[in-house]
Amino acid sequence: MTSEGAVIEIDDLHVRYGKAEAVRGLRLRVEPGRCHALFGRNGAGKTTTLKALLGLAPVDRGTLRLFGLDPWAQEAQVKGRLAFVPDAPGFYPWMSVREALEYAASFRPRWNRELEQHLLAKFGLDPAAPAKGLSRGEKTQLALIAAIAADPELLILDEPTSGLDPIVRRQFVEAVISAFQDRNPERRTLLISTHLISELEGVIDSFTVVDGGRDVMTLGADEARGRFQRIRGWFEDQAPASFPIRTLQPPRREGRMLEVLVDHQPEEAHRWLTAAGASRVEATALSLEEIFLTAAARTP
Amino acid sequence: MRRLTVLVTYDSIRPVRWNIDYHSGVPVYLQLVQQVQSAVAAGTLRDGDQLPSVRVLAEQLRINRNTIARAYQALEAEGVIANRQGAGCFVTASVTPLRRSVRTERLAAAIDGVIVQAHNLQVTGDTLRSLLDERLRRFKASKGGES
Repeated sequence: MTSEGAVIEIDDLHVRYGKAEAVRGLRLRVEPGRCHALFGRNGAGKTTTLKALLGLAPVDRGTLRLFGLDPWAQEAQVKGRLAFVPDAPGFYPWMSVREALEYAASFRPRWNRELEQHLLAKFGLDPAAPAKGLSRGEKTQLALIAAIAADPELLILDEPTSGLDPIVRRQFVEAVISAFQDRNPERRTLLISTHLISELEGVIDSFTVVDGGRDVMTLGADEARGRFQRIRGWFEDQAPASFPIRTLQPPRREGRMLEVLVDHQPEEAHRWLTAAGASRVEATALSLEEIFLTAAARTP
Repeated sequence: MRRLTVLVTYDSIRPVRWNIDYHSGVPVYLQLVQQVQSAVAAGTLRDGDQLPSVRVLAEQLRINRNTIARAYQALEAEGVIANRQGAGCFVTASVTPLRRSVRTERLAAAIDGVIVQAHNLQVTGDTLRSLLDERLRRFKASKGGES
């Protein structure tokens, strides 16, 4: 039962690595034009899920659909429409930057030469430089150029910014926004696996927290920030000893101040604190990174 | 003199204080909508002024282009801006109803805060109303002959 329109659809995915089951019943659905992130600790099953999507890890059980197609049976049709940047990209060491890009272009019918040149200049990569002499950051930049110049509808990035310095990370995010989303942004879909969340805060539309090979939480970014809030109330005297609404962590009481962390209906907590006599109530939405950290802390 | 001219020009193309606060809990596109509305209400954005392109603003704020597009679409639907094919987005609303509603909303939020405080201080509604009247009279008196 494939619903129409989703670029990625994964249902009840199981992937076994030797004896260990790395992915255990994961579900994922990404609509066109969205930027969806996979958050998870190392070993949570993010990379294995991406590998299964790309046909690099054998699916044990479950269904996988890319553009509504079976990525294993219709491999050529699917692969022509997506590009992938792994966490540690490798290139043939005897090639120069220029040759590596020519090689990548030879597999792609719609190579965007202009975009390639623009990104080479933006990153300051020398086309004549040998690929083997590139730093880790430069290799990632080169892989990103190769991925974006291929003009894919779906770009999959695995831990794209880990191990990069802050300036390169910033350039990387800007390149994704400006170059990948340049034409028809409503049809450019992005799947990013990451645990470095803060620099992508404004780019991410929705996310799935992956833990133990399962999707434990899927939310829109705005919805998540609207729901996960830290609320502080200041009282004239001692803060109340108890708080009747379910919180993510035990309420924190500091003299006249009571702090609670909620993951739904923050207005309710706000109202209760006011009704209990707080003279000042302050609400702060959690960032996506903080939301991930509290979600990760809750799963054993 | 010359330097001053340059400064004024620079300022005139940045009448909106674009600022995304991820801790506000307000959807990002809505923050953009509100910032344009406020700039129009305050008169720093006027009829015919051009908004930055989706691309430029996305790069500047490091946010998804679709988020900016969504904000601009919402502003267009409200009649605050018009998207002129190929040329960009321009402000069309020096329309008073919008400015009034934005102003009213702002004030309502401030008044809500006062009401909560009054409640906590156990000040009744009647006392609050007469206090407001008294303060208004005092404000008018302080402005003297101005109306």
